[in-house]
Order: sequence, then structure tokens, then C-alpha cells
Amino acid sequence: MAESICRALRDGALEGEHAPALTIRDSLASPFGFDVFTHVLTQLSSNILAGKSQSGGLVLVAFTRSPSFYMRLLKMRGIDVASSRKWIQILDCYTDPLGWKDRLVDSGNITSLSKEASTGESSCKNIKDMAKLFTSIIELGKGLVGQGKVRFCVAIDTVDEILRHASISSVSRLISNLRSNDQVSSIFWLLHSDLHEDRVAAVLGYMSSIVASIERLNQSANGQICNSENLSLLERNYWNGKLHVRFKRRNGRVRVMQEEFHVEQSVISFTTLSPGDELINRSLMPKVQFSLQLSEKEQNDRAKVVLPFEHQGNGKPIKIYDGRRSLEDSQDEATSVSTGALETVDNSSKGEIIYLRDSDDERPDSDEDPDDDLDI
Amino acid sequence: MATSKSRTSSFSCNLTAVPLSNMPGLKYGANGTVFISSGIPDLDKILGGGFALGSLVMVMEDAEAPHHMLLLRNFMSQGLVHKQPLLYASPSKDPKGFLGTLPSPRSCKVDKDKSRDDDPEQEGLRIAWQYKKYFGEHQQTVDNTRGGKHEYCNDFDLRKPLERHFLSGQHIDCVSILHNSDLVALHDRCATFFTQFPRNDGSIASAGRIAIQSFCAPQCEYSNLEWDMLSFIRSLRSMIRSSNAVAVVTFPPSLLLPSVSKRWQHMADTLLSVRAIPDKELANLLTGYQDMVGLLNVHKVACVNTQVPVILDATTFSIKLQKRRFLVLECLNQAPIDGASGNSYGTSASCSSSSKTRTHLDF
Repeated sequence: MAESICRALRDGALEGEHAPALTIRDSLASPFGFDVFTHVLTQLSSNILAGKSQSGGLVLVAFTRSPSFYMRLLKMRGIDVASSRKWIQILDCYTDPLGWKDRLVDSGNITSLSKEASTGESSCKNIKDMAKLFTSIIELGKGLVGQGKVRFCVAIDTVDEILRHASISSVSRLISNLRSNDQVSSIFWLLHSDLHEDRVAAVLGYMSSIVASIERLNQSANGQICNSENLSLLERNYWNGKLHVRFKRRNGRVRVMQEEFHVEQSVISFTTLSPGDELINRSLMPKVQFSLQLSEKEQNDRAKVVLPFEHQGNGKPIKIYDGRRSLEDSQDEATSVSTGALETVDNSSKGEIIYLRDSDDERPDSDEDPDDDLDI
Repeated sequence: MATSKSRTSSFSCNLTAVPLSNMPGLKYGANGTVFISSGIPDLDKILGGGFALGSLVMVMEDAEAPHHMLLLRNFMSQGLVHKQPLLYASPSKDPKGFLGTLPSPRSCKVDKDKSRDDDPEQEGLRIAWQYKKYFGEHQQTVDNTRGGKHEYCNDFDLRKPLERHFLSGQHIDCVSILHNSDLVALHDRCATFFTQFPRNDGSIASAGRIAIQSFCAPQCEYSNLEWDMLSFIRSLRSMIRSSNAVAVVTFPPSLLLPSVSKRWQHMADTLLSVRAIPDKELANLLTGYQDMVGLLNVHKVACVNTQVPVILDATTFSIKLQKRRFLVLECLNQAPIDGASGNSYGTSASCSSSSKTRTHLDF
């Protein structure tokens, strides 16, 4: 799942097609969206450096963390940041997104600002202007890969920050322009879905080709009482979660996959989902009024049932059961009961059809067609 | 014999088999309606002849699958083959590019007859417990023998692009609605388009087609003006009533508020919806699952000049690509499960996890 996502982003877009777009969405119930985002970012960066991906560079639009944070993060994860100027550009929308610091300096209130040592970044001072943001991203990308056929990826830290200042339609226009640009290979972003109305998440899902949702693992744990035992369990469960991915495939089908993840000191690891949590397959069999599956015991019992009209093959004369207990039968039963104590095992395992007649007044075979002439 | 006819044809269906000889693109139907083809032979049959002139067809898209484009492509190609003027509006920057993806009519007649006789392995005893799907086969062969170059409805080969000479007419108009901040320009464009096909009691000179794709796409600037969009649809509907044209509008209902989406659905004369199939989820429940690319639901069929509603045998169809080229719609064949608990399909087979609407597969 996480592997398939990274592979899809790495392979990028075919000629004449829109670039694949990934939405990572999380919520307060399981707020590990940023960890998934950094995981995808790291994987994509290593693919770019190794030359395995369609894109030759990555443009990261940083809203919630500073560019130096990302540099440190990539360094910690083993990505070579010394040559970062060649393959990554970070558009700094974190330091001064609305241009306030510049205005403060201009108005003379502050004489100078301390600037962090920058490693080839540029900053955006007005994130309300979508067109400007788009051109900055494209320019940065072109600066990385040149004018030719080589493409670049775009990663947007969170879309929440843009949505605070711009309408959803301008954000979707930005995304669709990026996707349809010839030089963009793939694009992915993070969204905290509970910060917005449902429509926003629906629109972003509409614009993307892969939607990865981060959910809590045990949904049933919501109603548990909070005591000391449960607290540790809840805390342990907090760091686990479920990654639920929907891929929109080219043939129009949707592929749904699920995976479990575990976050350990802000490093995320993915494992296949344990069978207890596989709710997808369970919900498929329609609910009917009878059970369609037989257990082992039920199957054995079914095999042992004496069917009334069938040749049992054990030498006894064929008796067609007509609901009356004839004299012989009752005698047989009496003997079998008396030996029942010794042969309890055999008797108890024999299946029986117990038929209680509605009333004894009813003559047997009261319908026109007596069964006695059946010769089985 | 009446029993050998498929049940979708009523006793007044004899009239629907009459195409106008001088205008192959039109067909007379019951109650004085004139139909134009949707471009998909199966859909024409389901709707009782095609799209009625003067009606508004709305297609509800699924955010996860592009099947509405298949419907639009066939619709537009059919119009171009019959030389019916076309107005196409889309939220992309270059709508003309879409014309390059339009399919071409199937070339060889021989393929058509053979294609219906598939399933060679079913020799010997065939247990036809789903017998209704075999009714149609008898009629196919009857239709095929009526050849001729100008058919009412062509089978379109999705792998072959439409020939250049169809696209070079004066009668194709492409509009981009991406940068429209309101709908006035589009409204005026449609109004001028309709003036070419006024409806009067005389004969029909020509019929027009309007195709509007993804009407409430979020990239468009007007997409948050819900009431403006609704009033555009309403005025489109009223303009189309008095003209000999058909408009097909597709929209993704998941991007609208439920109340807004409901209002739009009421505006439609014919309402269809397309849905994606989640991979493998429904494999246990449906036969022939591998060939399906999507599902088509018919919610409403236009009943013009009549108060008798059209009640279909089945409203859910699977969209299949025969030989990956030809669009066919088939009735869904479900595995034999207790049908009384019909709602269980609605809860277990909902395709989109984020959608709140309960989709009801009804067979």
C-alpha cells in the first residue's frame, strides 16, 4: 500500500495524461498524516537520487515547517542533502506567508530581521495569489530540471494553509493546472480533513487519483471506559493505525487496499493488516436469514441424518416412515434404550428426524395418493 | 409471437422501429416524440428509442471513474456522424483536444454478427435460469440484417479515432467554461445555438446536440454559485423544450450539497448515473465481473407528451467493453441470494467510502 503509492508517484505520468496526484488525509483520531507525508517524501527523494523515478527533481512547498527542518529530516533519513541544490527546491511559505515581516521592515518598526542560512530556497510572500504560487512552483521546477523533457514532482506540505486564504475553487484550479502541466511528473499533498467541511475533502478527492486515509485501528475502541488498564492499551493503540488507500485505475476501476502502520519516534513502519481487522471481506456476503456456512460438527451431523426414503444399505427391510411409530419400532427403541447405557456413544452420534404429528386423529396418508405403492 | 419479444417493448413499440428515411439521425416514437440516438445501441433500447428531442439528459458522475466520458464520446460522435450540429462545453483549457478522442463507427458488418455468438464453451445443455438475457439475442440478428450506410445508431469503436472529415464541419462549437466567473456567457452561447433548431409544427429541419461536461467541476470559478447553476439548468431546460435539440449535462453529485444535488436531479428529464466498480469487492456477487468496467443506473426516463411513466425491468446495467472497443450495457446477473433483504446490497456494496448516499443496486 505505501509501497504501491510510492511506486505510482515514482512512475509518474504517461504522455498526454494528467499527472498522478495523491491526497493524504488524516484527522484528530489518528493524526499521523505528517509522518506518512514525510515517509512518501523520503521514498520519492531516494528514488530521484537513485535515478529510478520519472522525475529528475522535487519542488517542496513548505507551509507548516521551515525549510531547514526538511533538510535536517532528509539528512536524518539518510538522503544526501549535500547535493540538494541539484534535485530539490523548497518554496518557503512558512517564514512569512503573508508578507508581514517585509511590511514591518518597510514601515520602519524593525531595523533588521535575522535570516536563517538558506540552502537554495526561495520564499513566497503572498500565498493568497494562486497564480503567483503556480508560476513560482513551475519556475523552481524548471530551474531544477531545465526546459526539456525531464519532469519534476511537487509536494505540498499541507493544503490547509492555502485553504485558509484562498477558496477551494482556486486551489482546485492550481492543482488541475499543476497536474496538466507537461513537466510535472506527480504531485502529492497532506490534508487534515477535520479542519474543513466535507465538501473540501470531496473536492480534493475528486482532483486526485490516489486517496490515502489514516484511520484509527480499532474503531470499536471508542466506547471503552477509561481506567488504568485501558489507558495503556489505548496509548499503545494510539501509535498504531490503519492506512486505507483508494486507487483510481486507468481502466475505471477502483482498487481499495488497507495496511497497518506503527509510528515509533516519528518514524513510520508499515505492515500488512492483521486478519481480525479485515472488515472489507466480511461485509461482502449479503445478510440473509439463513446461514450459508456449516461448521465442522454441523457437516458431520448432516452426513449422519437418516433420510426417510433412502436405502440405508444396512440390511434392514425398507420401511417408509409415515409418522406412526409401529410396534416393531417401539420395541426396537426399547431395546436400544436399555442398551443405551452401554452404547451411549453410538446412540448420541446417530442423527434423527423427530416428527411429531399434529394430532393422532389424522389417519396416515389421508391424501389421495398413498405412499405405500412407492417402490424405492 | 409476443413472448419472444423482450419485455421492454410495449404494444406501441411498432412505431419506434420507423426511422425517417431522409434523416437517418431521427426516429419517430410513440406519443409524437422524435428520438435521436445516444450513440450506444443498448442504451437506446433501454430508453425506448434514444434521447427524446427537447429533453434534458443529466448524467451523475462518479468522482472515482471517468465513465461519463464514454457516454459523452459516443453521444458526440453519433451527432457528428449524422452531421448534427454540436456545442461542447468543458472545464478544460482546450476543449477541442477532446474531439480527437471521439470514436469512429464500426467498419465491418461481419464482426457484428459474430460477436453476439460468444461463449463457445457452452455447448450441450445450457441451464438458462437467467433466461431474460437470451431474449435479446433473437432480436439482434433481425436488426443486423437491416444494413445500410446511414443507421440510426452506430456501434462505435473506441479504439479508432473519428475521421477528420467529420470534425471539419462548421457546426462544431467548443467552449471552455474554466475561467467563467458566471454563467451568463454560457447561457447566451446556448441560446444562440438553440435558435438554429426552432420547434414548430412543420417538419424537422435538423436536430442539435449540446454536451456539457462536469458542469460543477471545482476548477470553474462559478462552481460555488449554487443557485446560479441551478437557474442555468432550469433555463436550459426551458429553452430546450421549444427547440429540436438534446442536451447532455454531466456533473459529479458528490461535490454538491445533498439538497442541491437533489434539485439538479429533479431538473433532469432523463437521469442516468455511472459508478465505478471497486476491484474484487463484488466479484462474488456478480457473474461476468471481469469484463465490467463500471455500472450504469437509469433513474429517470423522459416521458414526453404522456402521463404514463416508463417503468423499466431493470435499472442497473453493467458497462462492458466488448473486445475492449465497443461499449455494451448488460443487465446485471446476480448470484442466487435471498432477494428479500435487498437493502443489504445497499449497505455492503457502496462503492465510495466517503459518500453518504446509500446506493441501492436493484435488479
